[in-house]
Amino acid sequence: MTQRQPGATLAEPGTDRLSRPVLEVTDLAVSFDNSAGGPRVQAVNGASMALYPQQTLAVVGESGCGKSVTAMSTMQLIARPPGRFDRGSILFEGRDICTLEERDMLSIRGGKIAMIFQEPMTSLNPVYTIGDQLLEAILLHQRVGPEEARGIAVQAMRDVGIRKPEERLGMYPHQFSGGMRQRVMIAMALACRPKVLLADEPTTALDVTIQAQILELLRELQRDRDMGIMLITHNLGVVAENADVVCVMYAGRVVEVANVFELFDEPLHPYTRGLFRSIPMLREAKHRLVTIRDVTDEPAEFRRLPGAVPWWPDMPQGARPALAAGRDEHVLVEVRPDRWVACWRTPELEARPHRRPNLAFRRGDR
Amino acid sequence: MISYLLRRLAFMVPTVLGITLMVFMLLALAPGGIGAGLAGSAGQLSDTSKVAQMQAYFEDRYGLNDPVIVQYARWLGRISPVKFGERDLRTPSGERVAPPRAIDDPPLAEAFPAPTAEVAAAPYAPPAGEQLVPEFKKLQREAEGARRDYIGSVRQFRDALAEWAKQQGPSMAGRLDSKGSARTEDFRGVEFPPDSPGYAKLAAAAAAMRAKWFRASAARERALAAFRAGPYPKSGIPLLPGLVSLDTPDLGVAFSKNRPVADLIAAALPVTLLINLIAFPISYLVAVPTGILASVRRGGWLDVGSGFLFLGLYSVPTVLAGVFAIGFLANRQYLGWFPVSGLHDSAAASMTFLPHTDAAGLWHRGYLLDTAWHVALPVLCLVYASFAVLSKQTRASMLDNFSADYVRTAKAKGVPRKDVVMRHVFRNSLLPLITMFVGVFPAMLAGSVVIERIFTVPGMGSLILEAIDLRDREIILANTFMVACVNLLALLLADILYAAADPRVSFNRA
Amino acid sequence: MPDAPIGHAPQAISGVDAMRGVGAVQAKGFWEDAWARVLARPGAVFGLSWIAVIAFFAVFAPLIANAHPVTLVTDRGREWPLLEHLAPADWLLLAGAVLGTPWVFLGPRRLKRSQRLGVLVACGLQAAATVVLSAAVVAWADDADRAAWVKDSIRAPWGIPSAVAAVALVFAAVAAWVPSVECRRVRLGAAGLTAALAFLACSFAGRTALVNFERYLEDERSGAIREVVWAPVPWSPQYTRSDMVAQAPGTRVADVPSLSAYADTAFGARRLLLGSDALGGDVLSQMLWACRLSISIGIVSTGISVAIGITMGALMGYFGGKVDLFLFRIVEIFMAVPVLFLLIVAAGVLPRNTYVMMAIIGCFSWTGAARFTRAEFLKLRGQDFVQAARANGLPVSKILFRHMLPNGITPVLVDASFAVAAAITVEATLSYLGLGPDGQASWGKLLSSATAATGTFVWWLAVFPGAAIFLSVLSYNLLGEAMRDAIDPKLRKAAH
Ligand SMILES: Nc1ncnc2c1ncn2[C@@H]1O[C@H](COP(=O)(O)OP(=O)(O)O)[C@@H](O)[C@H]1O
Ligand SMILES: [Mg+2]
Repeated sequence: MTQRQPGATLAEPGTDRLSRPVLEVTDLAVSFDNSAGGPRVQAVNGASMALYPQQTLAVVGESGCGKSVTAMSTMQLIARPPGRFDRGSILFEGRDICTLEERDMLSIRGGKIAMIFQEPMTSLNPVYTIGDQLLEAILLHQRVGPEEARGIAVQAMRDVGIRKPEERLGMYPHQFSGGMRQRVMIAMALACRPKVLLADEPTTALDVTIQAQILELLRELQRDRDMGIMLITHNLGVVAENADVVCVMYAGRVVEVANVFELFDEPLHPYTRGLFRSIPMLREAKHRLVTIRDVTDEPAEFRRLPGAVPWWPDMPQGARPALAAGRDEHVLVEVRPDRWVACWRTPELEARPHRRPNLAFRRGDR
Repeated sequence: MISYLLRRLAFMVPTVLGITLMVFMLLALAPGGIGAGLAGSAGQLSDTSKVAQMQAYFEDRYGLNDPVIVQYARWLGRISPVKFGERDLRTPSGERVAPPRAIDDPPLAEAFPAPTAEVAAAPYAPPAGEQLVPEFKKLQREAEGARRDYIGSVRQFRDALAEWAKQQGPSMAGRLDSKGSARTEDFRGVEFPPDSPGYAKLAAAAAAMRAKWFRASAARERALAAFRAGPYPKSGIPLLPGLVSLDTPDLGVAFSKNRPVADLIAAALPVTLLINLIAFPISYLVAVPTGILASVRRGGWLDVGSGFLFLGLYSVPTVLAGVFAIGFLANRQYLGWFPVSGLHDSAAASMTFLPHTDAAGLWHRGYLLDTAWHVALPVLCLVYASFAVLSKQTRASMLDNFSADYVRTAKAKGVPRKDVVMRHVFRNSLLPLITMFVGVFPAMLAGSVVIERIFTVPGMGSLILEAIDLRDREIILANTFMVACVNLLALLLADILYAAADPRVSFNRA
Repeated sequence: MPDAPIGHAPQAISGVDAMRGVGAVQAKGFWEDAWARVLARPGAVFGLSWIAVIAFFAVFAPLIANAHPVTLVTDRGREWPLLEHLAPADWLLLAGAVLGTPWVFLGPRRLKRSQRLGVLVACGLQAAATVVLSAAVVAWADDADRAAWVKDSIRAPWGIPSAVAAVALVFAAVAAWVPSVECRRVRLGAAGLTAALAFLACSFAGRTALVNFERYLEDERSGAIREVVWAPVPWSPQYTRSDMVAQAPGTRVADVPSLSAYADTAFGARRLLLGSDALGGDVLSQMLWACRLSISIGIVSTGISVAIGITMGALMGYFGGKVDLFLFRIVEIFMAVPVLFLLIVAAGVLPRNTYVMMAIIGCFSWTGAARFTRAEFLKLRGQDFVQAARANGLPVSKILFRHMLPNGITPVLVDASFAVAAAITVEATLSYLGLGPDGQASWGKLLSSATAATGTFVWWLAVFPGAAIFLSVLSYNLLGEAMRDAIDPKLRKAAH
């Protein structure tokens, strides 16, 4: 069971602390050299999103749409080269992470922003004990002696529900199962009480029961610690159960942002609709599952949005509206209050005032 | 752990047997067979019958007439630490004394029965304590001489037999082998009519052989009694008294030098090990840091430069480097900076260990520096080739680990780059480096064979090359055995180190 | 801070497209792609060029460096001593190079170039086997021990040609039957042509046993020669003069004190471009002829070791279990002792000739190939296409060699280039130790005479052959390195 740390305040919606985003990504663009020799890969192309304390922001989209690159950019873990930051900023506590020196970044990484990865089996160093790896993180970011650090490590292990933590600190990763290793990863990420947790498909490699336990655990810890979680996943079920705000990405762009209830009630972007339609339903008899492409290949899908044409790279040239000259073709439009959809940037849209996606919504608010 | 070690050691036995059997067969298959070198040394004698007798003596002494597999079994019996039968004695100087060998009955004894009057020699009476050793030595020499005479007489008897057979016409001559000599087994059961031509000569040879056999076996009896009287302490530890005992392996006596092989190896092995043990750390100390730096700055000048340089060095055969080093660096015609041969100066025995300046203000380099000066070139020629292999491997496994997930985790924890490189990437890259031991060590051992020849260093390499020239089976086999053991132990050490470095490997499950 | 604010680059593709393979270079086929990448490296191009130079000299050495004049007119009429003294192998090599090389590069479109190369290699093997076996048969039949009728029939005018014809037919049949080359007509034609060439070469090539080079000098001195054309390098490796020992590079023959008698002759005007060795033979001609040993020993012994290694490794990897346990003990035996050590012992006690040397190098160094193949096959064994082949009831040999081998052979092939380099090194080493093949010009042998027992050092005997050995070994290593980088996907992956 989680134990409340002294000094951790209860979440009170509306307080100033919780009403300001802890992380703000603005118009981020990252590209890579193409190792196969072709043109550069624009992995992220003008993505914007905001994350509030105690909020879970789900980032969904198909493989290669730039979810991980966005998270890794936030950690400044993109190798340069082959990577390159083309434009944009990532604000954390009022500072732009992209402009920080490596030295400053060291204290943020693991200390204030932590990350857990998809591959629990290989994400722990096989030649060090669990304890060594936990202590390494703790000693780096907290001014404590070894004894104290050990205490923190034991507590962190207990927080993520590992029994007999004292004993297990001396064990090696190969002696743990996949679910246990992911718990260790979470303990390691949370031991320094970060403000932001970037969870990159934390449960994809785990089986369903473990998956639920881990997500439950993350939610509890989040509430205790005022932590913002960026939850990257493919799994819409996970999104429905855990997310507060959902950000759908495609081809390095954000195509739709909304709170989880509204998005599931009425997806506006054809790609989002495709995403939902491609989930098999029990009572529908189909000879073939619907793919996202089936939906996005249908021009009628793009006409449903009044006043704007959803942005879509594969649309035939003729079907595109007249674009605003000299500007990026893509713009994230707030089509209704607190709902953003990616649209072609037409001169009419250009005239409208723009607000970047920014939603302080949390499940409890409703 | 102990059981793992025992199992690994047990697995080495078939490997060592296999390698020695292979070398044994190779030597036996070679033209001239195992004794080719002996025949050569006997061939310098002028008298042909003397040569034949000498050859017969050697064949008897080293058991060269037996089938190859029997010879190999006998060799194994000597090399095995578990011995059967009577235990050897050991002289105070550590030499091993085997009991006098049994003597077979003379061939065709039934066709040429013994003359009636054969006086038995005086039985052995153990003398007083201090006389035991000289008496035994005397009797041993006598027995050896008598045996030698007897073996020679068997040879003469065979010659007589061959001559007789040729005189009898094709039915008998057909029993001779392709070279026209007689093998006594082929004449078993043959009638030797006393009136046949040439019989007198044959019978005389048989009688002489018989008499010599009698003398030889009597001498052997006495030598055996003297042996059993215990002039020296027994060697080894008995397991079943009189039947099975434990003893150190007996590497035999070199044909060509008439010295125990163990002594030759004991003199040569430290030299080879010295050179290798100096070279080994040097190659790791140069190659591993280079590999690390090359991987950290991938594509940088150090990476590209060391890659080219090391590949170039790797492509220089050891002999080439050796010849150039000797020719240009050591030879007085050119630079003459280093000594051309040997491991020590001729005056090394009288040197002090460390360099010093004597009363007259003269500087003496001392034993240590002298040795270093002598081994510098051999070591240089031994190390350079392994740079490429080791640094390439280091670089490749570093690069592998740089993209590993746990390195990403470490970076995400905020570990500084230097620590990421050393504590995470390098620590994990150590594992394949330990395995590289397996490849580098044998290569160096082999390289030192060549280097010792080039620089005239009296190590295992020189020993083996000399032995090959002389076809000295005992040295070649013992060398193979030693090299295989050293090598296998090095591999075992590598495995133990690997298990120590990688917590995923445990002896209990391996 | 943005590294380079370049705005929206229209030619960039999105990550989703990259995942789908958009913008990837059009797939060329694995080998073609790998080969193109090998050729993109200057090191590999250098290596290939040097190997080509060596191969050229290996083929044409008899025409370039020969102490027999190309043509000679005396009172006896016009003679062609150089051609008369060419051995069957020389003729076949020349024919193969002159006919085969253009065919491989410009041949019919119907076959791919790699297939044409395969046919040429097969023809080479067939020709070599024919030559070696014919020589062995003739030598066997001519032996003093043989029955009279055998001796008589081989000494009859048509004895040798008919024996050679029989051997040639046997190998032509084998080559035509080998199932690997697809195009049947080409296969039959090539086998037939090779058999015919081998027959002609072995039956009618010069077999003058005693070579007397002094004859030409005597003719020259007595003025009997009216017209003579020498090869570009008028020396042969076998032509040694005890009065011409250890001359420095560039020496004129007449300047050698003991040869001052030749001051005014054409012979006296010749130069020893790279000097002479300890036996008084010209170094340059030996260097050129030694290219043959260098090329053949590397390739043949590696061929043998790869063949043995792949077979053993495939058996171990495919069957696993007991077979693996047993065969791996054999591999371990070879790993227990340094291979060079075994080679020294073997070369020391076995007959000193080229074939034995190739065989022992091949037979003692197959463990690397075996281990690579074993590891690959262990991996492949569990894969679906092998399971499917097995489930379909294909015979083991088919599964092993048709389905698994093409997938598991890559590391062995990459390693083969390093193995060739190692074989050349071994040859140099053994020759240096005095265990090399007899009667063959060899760089290693030249090198070994650089340091004499007297302690003098002859630099030109170290530098020239040493450079040749180094460049050859380096070439194969560079080629191997380029192939490894081109083929090994692990190294191609973008690192950290
Ligand atoms: N280190 C890298 N080098 C080159 N390309 C990369 C690198 N990392 C990511 N990419 C490219 O960026 C695109 C987006 O990757 P990613 O963000 O990991 O996708 P996902 O949304 O599945 O997490 C991919 O197409 C990938 O090819
Ligand atoms: Mg991802």
